[in-house]
Amino acid sequence: MKTEANPLHGGPKPYSNPYLTGVLLGLVLLASFVILGAGLGASSGIARIGASLSLCVATSHTLGSAYFGKWGANPLHYYLVFMFVGTFVGALFSALLANRARIQVERGAASSVRRRLWYALAGGVIVGFASRLAQGCTSGQALSGGALLLSGSLVFMVCLFASGYAAAWFVRRQWHD
Amino acid sequence: MINTLYSLDALGTNRAFFLAALIGFGFGFALERAGFSSSRRLAGVFYFTDMAVVKVMFSAVITALLGLSYLVGLGWMRMDQIFLMPTIYGAQIVGGLLFGVGFVMGAWCPGTAAAGLAAGRIDALVFLLGTVGGSILFNEVFPLVRPLYTAGDQGTQMAYLSLGLSRNAFVLTFTLVAVAAFWLSERTEKARTGRAPYLGSPFLKAFSLILVALACGLFVLSPVSTRASVQPANTAAATAVDEKALMETVENARDHIEPEELADRLMAGEPDLVVVDVRPAAEFNAFHIPGALNVPLAELAEALQPYKNKGLIVLYSNGMTHPAQARDSLQRLGFGHVYLLTDGLQGFRDRCLKPVSLRPEPLTPVDAARVNAWRTYFNASDGTPKVGIFAKVVTAALPRVVETDWLAARLGTPGLKVIDLRPQPEYNASHIPNSLSLNVESLRGNIGGVPSMLLPPAMLAAQFSLLGLHPSDTIVLVPSDKMHDATLPGLAFERMGHMDYAVLNGGYAKWAQEGRPVNAALPAVTESTCPVKTDADDFTVNFKTVAATIGKPGTVIIDVRPADFYTGKKSDEARGGHIPGALNRAFSEDVITSSNKVVTFKPTAELAAAYRQLIPSTNTEVIVHCRTGHQASQTFFVLKHLLGYPNVRWYDAGWTEWAARPELPVANETQALKNKK
Repeated sequence: MKTEANPLHGGPKPYSNPYLTGVLLGLVLLASFVILGAGLGASSGIARIGASLSLCVATSHTLGSAYFGKWGANPLHYYLVFMFVGTFVGALFSALLANRARIQVERGAASSVRRRLWYALAGGVIVGFASRLAQGCTSGQALSGGALLLSGSLVFMVCLFASGYAAAWFVRRQWHD
Repeated sequence: MINTLYSLDALGTNRAFFLAALIGFGFGFALERAGFSSSRRLAGVFYFTDMAVVKVMFSAVITALLGLSYLVGLGWMRMDQIFLMPTIYGAQIVGGLLFGVGFVMGAWCPGTAAAGLAAGRIDALVFLLGTVGGSILFNEVFPLVRPLYTAGDQGTQMAYLSLGLSRNAFVLTFTLVAVAAFWLSERTEKARTGRAPYLGSPFLKAFSLILVALACGLFVLSPVSTRASVQPANTAAATAVDEKALMETVENARDHIEPEELADRLMAGEPDLVVVDVRPAAEFNAFHIPGALNVPLAELAEALQPYKNKGLIVLYSNGMTHPAQARDSLQRLGFGHVYLLTDGLQGFRDRCLKPVSLRPEPLTPVDAARVNAWRTYFNASDGTPKVGIFAKVVTAALPRVVETDWLAARLGTPGLKVIDLRPQPEYNASHIPNSLSLNVESLRGNIGGVPSMLLPPAMLAAQFSLLGLHPSDTIVLVPSDKMHDATLPGLAFERMGHMDYAVLNGGYAKWAQEGRPVNAALPAVTESTCPVKTDADDFTVNFKTVAATIGKPGTVIIDVRPADFYTGKKSDEARGGHIPGALNRAFSEDVITSSNKVVTFKPTAELAAAYRQLIPSTNTEVIVHCRTGHQASQTFFVLKHLLGYPNVRWYDAGWTEWAARPELPVANETQALKNKK
């Protein structure tokens, strides 16, 4: 799945064929099913980072809380935390290889940085909350649960796109050029 | 057959962590290759300018789905070796709707934001910080959203079964939908941007064709796939009346037994309960519910004749279709009280045996305690997955209290470790050969300002490692004349997830008095590495839980200190008295001290009768406490392990902490009387 462009070429390389990249992603997911016996996940790793921050600030409160409390004193000791770190490293490797790593705030040219970052922050809070409620995100529910044909995961996927399209108009200005 | 780490219960090992990181690497690499490290590209799907999200996601889902279907169809693995998340309609519908809004606003999701961060996107970093915040927010408001979190819980539910389709038909439909989505995406991009390099390309045609062909191939590979509908049973021989009774039973679901109920009944050792596994012998030998009989369907009626109408007969298989047919057939032959296990063996594993740490939903401490009790009981007695010599030392599940005869018969067995809890001078003078000396107080320390708290798992593991203990060891705890000197280390082992321990009834005094072998030599110890398990302790509660329990129906708090301390007549703490609503039964009332300082537990029947007066029902949530947690460990042991109350918890910090926190309520009859005067 290497891009055809010359590695010595200066600019970022074009993205790979989306279908073949999808097959690669599907094979990674399959490997996860076969080796781990569980699908891919991302939000769980983030939530556990949140739990460990919460533990640093208010140890006894967190240990006594009904949700984080179950994860004990060392919430980072969990396979999905390691998967999340791996995801970052894998993406870094790919981005460097394709010369695509560049520090920037991605937004429409006519949109302010401030607007884009506020939207990103608010979106993050909602996604963090929703992922805990639904016990997974696009990786754990939509992708992994979808491939397992689980009713709840497929319902999650449909709801996600439905409300995404419904809300898209209201937040479109961050992409205006 | 492939064994997944999940099916081996090994997702918590370092090996799993390493492999998860490696798979994560592939995940991140693929996401970045797809261009999902760009929020603009991700947002494009919602404005129909860049449909890569649809193309990549559907390609990935269909690839994994087909791959898995082939592996299962070829018999290389089973679906029950994969963790299948529960379907909870309320939580997943509301969660999905919220998620969509957050996704389009932030233009990231958790996995892609990790990729975006790697590609230097500051908006991804901000999004991730928001996600961390959103997770913490969820934890803070969890008590409020809990009803939604469990609303519409269906357990594991497969979409094709909900729709009444065969698995293969559903996979083919899903694949066709995906292919249609590919072509629609290309057309959309063409219309919006004028560019669609794959529209009508030989590549996309071939790709679509291959996916559909592979989905069709499943029908050839496994033509008899799981049907949604139960095959109608043969009704030729049945009379109309019998059929009516049968259908009524089925309709009222009186023919089912839930896994939890079966587990409890098995653990209680219910007589006349016959559990029958109707799967092929090979599957039975690989794993079965301990105590189950393996009977082929064809021989069922004959084999079960001796048990006919004597007690409960519970049938199970992987699914429910075969046992359902067998049950109906048995009922026609006059068998009463035949039940099928809801969700079959898979349900039993998921609902009873799955470790608390791997469950997607947090369990209440009460439920977690139940699960751990089941795990201990069933994993200990099935004999197969246990490593070490456990099976040789004890044939059935280890009794919690062992007699001197029991120990004498097994002394010297490798893997049997005897721990002497008497003061060191007494140990030095003489002890059971090869026993290890342990000072009870070394297991406790100051935690967060509260003295005498049982140490955290890492510190316990360090001490047990120095003692050369292994997770596979069977531990026998030998007290002096204080039984709670053995039960407190017992709780230390439970905190480590080490359930293979027992207490020697009568302690060292009884052993010595019976003239059994003793010596004064120190045992040879090779230091070991005890693993640190942080999630095994689901029985210790803090003051908040206790405070929330006060006055709650279905709960009992038992203060096990001597009566004078309970009433407040005596006090050596910040305040005297007791927790409002707490009952009093001193720990010392559960043991008998005979002459020569031999202390034994009172007969179980006597203890059971006494506690029935205090605890309304078996399922009552019980919290025990004393001043420092030491004496209460004995009552905990009695209730949980001798009397089998499933929901017992231990307030370790006890009266020391409670009395010193002025905001916590105290009942003090003595003080009240004085004030009246």
